[in-house]
Amino acid sequence: MSDKNFNAYQMAQAQFDKVADILTLDESTRQLLREPLREYHFSIPVKMDDGTTKIFKGFRVQHNDAFGPSKGGIRFHPMETIDTVRALAMWMTWKCAVVGIPLGGGKGGVICDPHNLSMREQEQICRGWVRQLAKNVGPINDVPAPDVMTNAQHMLWMLDEFEVIHGGKHPGFITGKPVGMGGSLGRTEATGYGVIYTLREACKKKGIKIEETTAAFQGFGNVSQYALQLYIQLGGKAICVSCWDQKDQTSYTFKRDSGISFDELMKITDKFGGIDKTEAKKLGYEILPGDVWIEQKVDILIPAALENQVRGDNAVKIADTVKIVAEGANGPTTPEADKVFQKKDIFVIPDFLANAGGVTCSYFEQVQSNMNYFWTKEEVLTKLDNIMSAAFNAVYDTAVKNKLYMRDAAYVISISKVAHACKDRGWL
Amino acid sequence: MSEKTQPIEHLVRELEERAKELNCLYKIEDTLNHSDISLDEAFSLVVDAIPPGWQYPDITRVKLEYKGNTYTTEHFSESIWFQRADIKVNDEIVGHISVYYVKPVRDHDEGPFLKEERKLLNTIAERLSHFILHKDTFAFISELQEIRDVSSGNLKHKWQVVLDMLYKTDKPLFNTIIRKLLHNLCWQENKEAQKLLKDAGIEQKSKVDDDGDTVFDDNKPLKKKSLDNAAFVQSVIRLADENLRDDEILAKLQKWIYEDKCSGLVKAVETMETSLNEISEALRKYYPLLSNGELSPSIEKGLKVSLIRRFFTDQTEFISIAKEFVDINDFYDLTDRIILPSKSYGKLGGKSAGMFLASKIIAKKAKTSDRFKNIKIPKTWFIPSDGIMHFLHYNELEEVIEQKYKDIEEIRREYPHIVQIFKNSDFTSEFINGVSVALDDFGDCPLVVRSSSLLEDQFGAAFSGKYKSLFIANQGTKNERLSALLDAISEVYASTFGPDPIEYRAERNLLDFHEEMGIMIQEVVGTKIGKYFMPAYAGVAFSNNEFRWSPRIKREDGLIRLVPGLGTRAVDRLGDDYPILLAPGQPNLRVNVSFMEKIKYTPQHIDLIDLSTNEFETHKVSSIIKETGNKYPALKSMVSIIKDNHITQPMGLGADYETDDLIITFEGLITDNNFVPQIKFLLDTLQEGMRCPVDIEFASNGTEFYILQCRSQTKSKEIQPDPIPRDIPRKKVVFTANKYVSNGKVPEISHIVYVDPQSYYNVGSREELVEIGRAVGKLNKILPKRRFILMGPGRWGSRGDIKLGVNVTYSDINNTSMLIEIAKQVGNYTPDLSFGTHFFQDLVEASIRYLPLYPDAEDVIFNEPFFRKSENMLEHLAPEYKHLGDTIKVIDVTHAADGQILRVLINAELEEAIAFLDEPKASKVTSLDTSEYVEWQPSNYWQWRYKMAERMAELIPAEKFGVKNFYIFGSSKNANAGPASDIDLLIHIEENADIEMLNLWFDGWSQCLSELNYLKTGYTSEGLLDIHYVTDEDIEKRTSFASKIGAITDPAKQLKIGK
Repeated sequence: MSDKNFNAYQMAQAQFDKVADILTLDESTRQLLREPLREYHFSIPVKMDDGTTKIFKGFRVQHNDAFGPSKGGIRFHPMETIDTVRALAMWMTWKCAVVGIPLGGGKGGVICDPHNLSMREQEQICRGWVRQLAKNVGPINDVPAPDVMTNAQHMLWMLDEFEVIHGGKHPGFITGKPVGMGGSLGRTEATGYGVIYTLREACKKKGIKIEETTAAFQGFGNVSQYALQLYIQLGGKAICVSCWDQKDQTSYTFKRDSGISFDELMKITDKFGGIDKTEAKKLGYEILPGDVWIEQKVDILIPAALENQVRGDNAVKIADTVKIVAEGANGPTTPEADKVFQKKDIFVIPDFLANAGGVTCSYFEQVQSNMNYFWTKEEVLTKLDNIMSAAFNAVYDTAVKNKLYMRDAAYVISISKVAHACKDRGWL
Repeated sequence: MSEKTQPIEHLVRELEERAKELNCLYKIEDTLNHSDISLDEAFSLVVDAIPPGWQYPDITRVKLEYKGNTYTTEHFSESIWFQRADIKVNDEIVGHISVYYVKPVRDHDEGPFLKEERKLLNTIAERLSHFILHKDTFAFISELQEIRDVSSGNLKHKWQVVLDMLYKTDKPLFNTIIRKLLHNLCWQENKEAQKLLKDAGIEQKSKVDDDGDTVFDDNKPLKKKSLDNAAFVQSVIRLADENLRDDEILAKLQKWIYEDKCSGLVKAVETMETSLNEISEALRKYYPLLSNGELSPSIEKGLKVSLIRRFFTDQTEFISIAKEFVDINDFYDLTDRIILPSKSYGKLGGKSAGMFLASKIIAKKAKTSDRFKNIKIPKTWFIPSDGIMHFLHYNELEEVIEQKYKDIEEIRREYPHIVQIFKNSDFTSEFINGVSVALDDFGDCPLVVRSSSLLEDQFGAAFSGKYKSLFIANQGTKNERLSALLDAISEVYASTFGPDPIEYRAERNLLDFHEEMGIMIQEVVGTKIGKYFMPAYAGVAFSNNEFRWSPRIKREDGLIRLVPGLGTRAVDRLGDDYPILLAPGQPNLRVNVSFMEKIKYTPQHIDLIDLSTNEFETHKVSSIIKETGNKYPALKSMVSIIKDNHITQPMGLGADYETDDLIITFEGLITDNNFVPQIKFLLDTLQEGMRCPVDIEFASNGTEFYILQCRSQTKSKEIQPDPIPRDIPRKKVVFTANKYVSNGKVPEISHIVYVDPQSYYNVGSREELVEIGRAVGKLNKILPKRRFILMGPGRWGSRGDIKLGVNVTYSDINNTSMLIEIAKQVGNYTPDLSFGTHFFQDLVEASIRYLPLYPDAEDVIFNEPFFRKSENMLEHLAPEYKHLGDTIKVIDVTHAADGQILRVLINAELEEAIAFLDEPKASKVTSLDTSEYVEWQPSNYWQWRYKMAERMAELIPAEKFGVKNFYIFGSSKNANAGPASDIDLLIHIEENADIEMLNLWFDGWSQCLSELNYLKTGYTSEGLLDIHYVTDEDIEKRTSFASKIGAITDPAKQLKIGK
């Protein structure tokens, strides 16, 4: 394998090294945080529907648990590699630390393609995974969650197996459960609302009245929808939203200068965030090409669709009126675009921080499950607001104090927090 | 107004009269079909059934005389107003039937009687004749039976009694039997019998030729020898008595007599001169004999074959299969449901044939298996193929037949007019009567009028969807329903002359074939729910799965496409709506696994019939579920509930149809362990019966399962295996495959986009991997649609870990004709292929083929040098991605291989696929026609486009607008434009050119051309031109389209401005 070969783990380590340099961490801290604390590799034998037995490879990586039980998803992927799992576990450590929830970072997976498996076979894999790890995971050790190609159903099978083995009820073992089976209310809203909580704080810091702002949204999926809802509730005026059109296989921007009405738009939106063009026209929306959302003369841009949407080539089209970019999607901005932001003096709320509402809500699910109690949606969202706001302010202060770009500041604060926790525990 | 209503009222009255007559006939038929009824009983019932059929039942009296007995209605008296018909058996008058009016009434056609009443009376008399004949024959046969059953001691006596009886009643038959007896003795080498035959027969004078062989002088007529008949007969009987066993003789006699009785039917069916009407009549006449089931196997087989040939097809494959499953009685039932024009010599068409055969196969298997218990065939009536000719003839519309030789533009322009002419034409009253009877049989359930083309089964051409299938709600008064049905029939007839089928036929050289189209009128399976009518669910199922989404699925695991409501959405590929796909052999391996996949690839719309508007409509599934809720049958087993990113099944009380977020998954149906195994078993059974893979259309009302159509799967053009040539020189082969090959047609390929597995693996940064995906997306937009293939390592559409395969979405690949995944070992690792799972169902709905390649496997060719050495066109096509040239290779096949194209042939039967360099077909067949007038042909969509571009260049006021140069590029230039392609023009303008004027000018052209294209092809678009303006600066910098000018591959072609 050649050296220039792209590897997610090496990339995560390189990113860590960069921040470690800023923080001037000592060698032992670097060594500890560069690699996972623990890794489990194991085989899961499964009796297949056709009577044969197949052995699947499973992993669990616990990168760091200085702050609390490891937290991270379980991926079912045919080409899963241990390096990918390691990188993702490390990112989970930083993500939990940046919002300041008492959890560590972990990730796991099984090499398999659910497209080639029946539901029964998948259930056997889930149960087999838990059987292999029953002693090493649990509400006080390591809390799995759904990830690529796994969902609430897989979590319930795993929880059930765990409880059978331990002979008791431990709903806090796993998150991503359906509401009514230990899941938390407010989960659907959490990520989108989280974006706007941080945006609201950013406006305060920048001396902008959010109710006087205008914004353009990219994407109309789950995150964008709730972000839009809360933004409008807070008095902001959203003038356009772009979304994917399944039929035309292209995206469109729906624009109305007088402002978008959330309820009105939701009525004409399908399950995948596709807006009905004809109906929208009737409601007075202009239908424009998908990429014009970025050129709008607004104060705020919220890319909440896919990764790599704001690039060097289109970032230059951003209007001079734009003051803040809140990254609702994962990795929407390329490094070239970051350079444009810096040049234009646009304030960025990095994805890492802005969309941490999801993991925070998972934490809430775990807390509620451990108490065997549940909160109302309002309670969940109020608590989410508190955590997100505090997290934003901490990152902002770090950025200002150390003259750091927001994206770097977010990493700096989370890595330094974890390093401190390890030190305080006497590990270092 | 009154002028118009008058004839209608008149028509109504007439129709009522016809209905009465038909009722009367039915009643009589019904009576006479009871085989155990006695003559006395039957005659009394018939006599009483007659008066209600006549115009004035109260004053009608009837008398039937037969062999001295008289049967009359109550209060019978004779009068002077009467009509009479003779009852004849074997051309001998054996009785009469007479109808009297006891009071005087107004005169009509025949005295006081209508001409229809005369016809009816004759029919009744004829039916009575048949009945008497059957009774006689039956009596005769059962007598024979009795004789045979009696103890053997008396047998000798008995067979002689039989002969005696025959001698007295049926002399010709007696003679036949004596002759057959003699022949039989001869075969047994009885010397005396042989001599007798020689004496009795023809004296053949033989002479011996030079070589000592016996030769006959065959130029002279032979002399017939008279013989003493009585002595001859006695000798034969004596010989039989001496040489044959008594029971043997008796059995033979019985068989011969029986065969003789059926000979009329055989004769009727075998001659092509008999019309279907006469055949039906013969079947009806001989029905009691046939149902007795004592035909000799050879005669029976012969009859069956003839009947199959007359009603369905001459195709030997079909006949040889059908004769195994079909009984002669089945035709008797069939003829009951055929609407025959007078003197019909047509056939029922491919669709009807398939259905008929399938129903018989199932009926046969149902006897041995419980699995088929709830399988039904919807009630169907047929109109034979020459119905349309009678229709044309009756309305003097014969010239329409020549329509097909017109220019396609003209056909398209005139088609709406033809539809109107057809709809305003009349049917013969006889035909209307037939349809009316069918309608009475159907009642007021919605109907579908489907075409059943003769071409469909003749040439393996799939005409599905080319001719119309019309749904009608069939609501309202009988007259309204009748006219709606007739209207639908005429519209289906008109569709024969529609531009699309004619174009399709022209492409396949079938234009000269005289297209006659049969029609099937089928009841629509379903239930009435509120104002809607539809089946709970419907779909299509295939024996062979040509779209396997997992290597664990075998081809013979089959495929089901399942939708709620009418099956139209499962039959067609819509592109933006998705049926639920299922492999019945592996129901647990689903196409869509993740939460997002499950909610995305689910049916969003439903087709149904709105009984209040009498229309076929499409609605959103979600709104229909809300509206109908619990009233929708089997809905509980069709939906899943989405709640907080979790999909569950309704349990107990089921879902709350008003408030729950529901999607169609058919999860309950699939897991109930009944539906899927049943379809699998059905497909297997039909495949075994028809000796080929089949596809069926089905529908269910929630409890019963109906088969709507069945045909051989290979009939569908799209999935016919390609023959794989064995003699292709190795150096011409680009790649071969021998694993997971699924049938499908790939057009001639002009470009290959090849993402090199080794270089892709070596890419160092995630950004660059992402960029590769974007480059592919760009190429997908530039390259000619469906004329290029995408080849890449591992899993196309990988997200997250994009090292495993190129990070694309469906829109980045949606123009390719084929998606190829290469599992090439790199280092010590072989990538696992995705089988297109990331957008599998999108590929299916767009007919994009998928093929996995295993270049490291044995017996496989992967011509790596071709990919390595061919010139890379990437930097010319997408200069901004020039730096990715090591990884992405774009090969212009024509350029790289001296004008050749890449041909991909796939044969799933052999599990083989091959891609090789070949001469393009078009250049082999027709040389490019450059004459001023370009005659339209389906294959040269580009020619007139090119011509038009030239005209525009000639006419454009270049100086005024500031136009420097005029170029054409893309499909219209490359001679691969399709019917929907636009014309790509590149306009080189001056800096200060008047863009607004230019746009206005081109816009006018664009719309005109679009209209023209619609007339030629039926494709509509908002405009046909795609105009790109470039300036000197653009050309210098070679920005996007400017790079086309003077490009090495696929350059834009300059057109001459001005005359």
